[in-house]
Amino acid sequence: MNVELTELTRRFGHTQAVAGVTLEAGPGVFGLLGPNGAGKTSLLRMMATVLPPTAGRLRLLGRDPGGFGPRREIRRRLGYLPQNLGYYPGFTVADFVEYFALLKDMPPRRVPRAVAAAIEHVGLGDRARAKLRTLSGGMLRRAGIAQAIVNEPELLLLDEPTAGLDPEQRVAFRALLREFGQRSTVIVSTHLVEDVGVACTEVALMDAGRLVFHGTPGELVTRGEGSGAAGDAPLERGYSAVLAAARSGAAARS
Amino acid sequence: MNDDALIAAVARGDDTALRELFSRHAPWLAGRLRAVLPAAEVEDVLQETFLGVWRGAAGYRPEGSPGGWLWGIARRQAALWLRRRGPAELLLPAVIAADGRYPGDPAEAALSRAELAQAVSALGPEGGAARETWRLMYVEDKSVAEVAKLMGVSAGTVKSRAHRARQLMRAALRHHEPAAEGGGR
Amino acid sequence: MTGNELAGGYPDAGPGPADVDLDRVWLGVAAQVWRRRPGPVERVTGRLLRSPGLGRALVTTPSLLFGWLIATVVILLAGIGATVSTGEPWVALLAPAVAAAGIAYAYGPGIDQAWELSQSMAVSDRMVLLVRALAVFGLNAALGMAASAASGAAAAVTFGWLVPMTAVCALALAAATVTRSPTVGVVAGAAGWVIALLAGQAAEGQVTAAVTDSVFVVPYLAFAACCGAVVWLATRIPRGTP
Repeated sequence: MNVELTELTRRFGHTQAVAGVTLEAGPGVFGLLGPNGAGKTSLLRMMATVLPPTAGRLRLLGRDPGGFGPRREIRRRLGYLPQNLGYYPGFTVADFVEYFALLKDMPPRRVPRAVAAAIEHVGLGDRARAKLRTLSGGMLRRAGIAQAIVNEPELLLLDEPTAGLDPEQRVAFRALLREFGQRSTVIVSTHLVEDVGVACTEVALMDAGRLVFHGTPGELVTRGEGSGAAGDAPLERGYSAVLAAARSGAAARS
Repeated sequence: MNDDALIAAVARGDDTALRELFSRHAPWLAGRLRAVLPAAEVEDVLQETFLGVWRGAAGYRPEGSPGGWLWGIARRQAALWLRRRGPAELLLPAVIAADGRYPGDPAEAALSRAELAQAVSALGPEGGAARETWRLMYVEDKSVAEVAKLMGVSAGTVKSRAHRARQLMRAALRHHEPAAEGGGR
Repeated sequence: MTGNELAGGYPDAGPGPADVDLDRVWLGVAAQVWRRRPGPVERVTGRLLRSPGLGRALVTTPSLLFGWLIATVVILLAGIGATVSTGEPWVALLAPAVAAAGIAYAYGPGIDQAWELSQSMAVSDRMVLLVRALAVFGLNAALGMAASAASGAAAAVTFGWLVPMTAVCALALAAATVTRSPTVGVVAGAAGWVIALLAGQAAEGQVTAAVTDSVFVVPYLAFAACCGAVVWLATRIPRGTP
């Protein structure tokens, strides 16, 4: 198991962004779905060791990120793409990926080849020495994906990775997800349900900080069948059905 | 963009031009090297070749043949590798066929044989008119009259086929020479 | 295979031998063509700090232009405040805190576009900030020394502020590297500044006042703690939006 969350909680003042999430994930592609404000980003930030949890237990790659040494070791094997990744305008794509490769403590001898491989993998091979300010939004996102994968991470966390990618690039991206899912845990947070269905082996749905569904995409589709829930595609209907049930359940409780 | 323009772009530091050159030329260079080197070494030599292209593009003179220039760099890298490894590595058929006796530098000999084999194959399939004519006239040293009788054609036809064979060989061998013959392709 | 060769095609065109991985070959070429070769400063820094990432962070500091401008302006203003002698030690004590806050802001959550990503890096973002502080002071000190030849005012700020602060940053970085704690480094640096001030006061003949007047000791230590607190606060994991 690469990720083990036990009743993980995160509060901001009086708001509970993440309310007691329990989850386990091994190798494979794990989709994290939910509406905006559901707590997906906070959950991902905790897994990226950027945000400390308020309560609960977190184990990543078999270690507790609370300690300085284990946290550093986790971060060496981690790849993270935040939702809002800025870029340094004067850097080239290669500079950008190389910079973060070095900050991930990659051995310097391995860095140039890993950087080249990551850049070619995301299809930016013809822009490797172009300055980031000359790139479109989709290309910048792909540069962000490149820095996330450069150290061949065992835990890959991607927050809204497909923003700005055209359909052809999304297909290539899903292939990348599947490839990494063979040997690592890939967690993709997205509000685009169709991104998830094709590439993910497991899906979790969050709403108001809670986990309201955890299973395979097929099981999510089943939840939506015959429920009359909104949606143009089976996964979307499952998504709406689960959300509706969770919200009415919450309303009944309160 | 044609090859000359690409090489000029590489000389100006354009790495995308190098990438394009690689996609165009690496396959056939790899094939030619494969005739002399094992697969893993072809990869190393090809890598050194294109790094050589990146560093040395400024030295390319546009009157030559780009393919010839590239092969020249590849050839030098291959020869370097072969010399480092020593004669024991030269066990490709092209060299064995010389029954172990090669004059001078075995690396050069191996490469020359590979180049010659390529030039000969440019004459067409075995048994074809040009190749057969060349074989009879220049390998078996027969006279025009003898070749005409053996092939069942007129002497004039033999002469023009021989002329054509020489043209084809010259063109093929020219691909191996960086700008050696001024003008032309 | 007759006239094609003469037409400019290559006699042996084709997809290449099956057992040669051309993609791998290209990656080997690209790795050398695309890399940025570290210069001497980067290599030495990386070795001293036991982290090639920190070496790269140091040399990229000026190229993060907007942050560089803000940091430079802040430290120069703080420096002018510190070197204009008003007879009160408080200004000189406050100056490093202001400078630290400015640098932390310029290269931290305020302006660094990739701040959140930097926080997920194995190399601690606070170590990176310490290194950047050294870069900001060091490079400005070097420029200041060049400018000192022409201007007395520049000399005052350079030798009274920029150069000592560069030394303080180096001390902070050394302490942080040895103890593996950026916080310890900052406190050590602040202590170094305080000592430098005391030494300066001693040189001006106020030895007895500086040493025997114990009423100064507590405020000095308090200010050292403030410097540390300012940097720590400015760079702590942000509450962020949920």
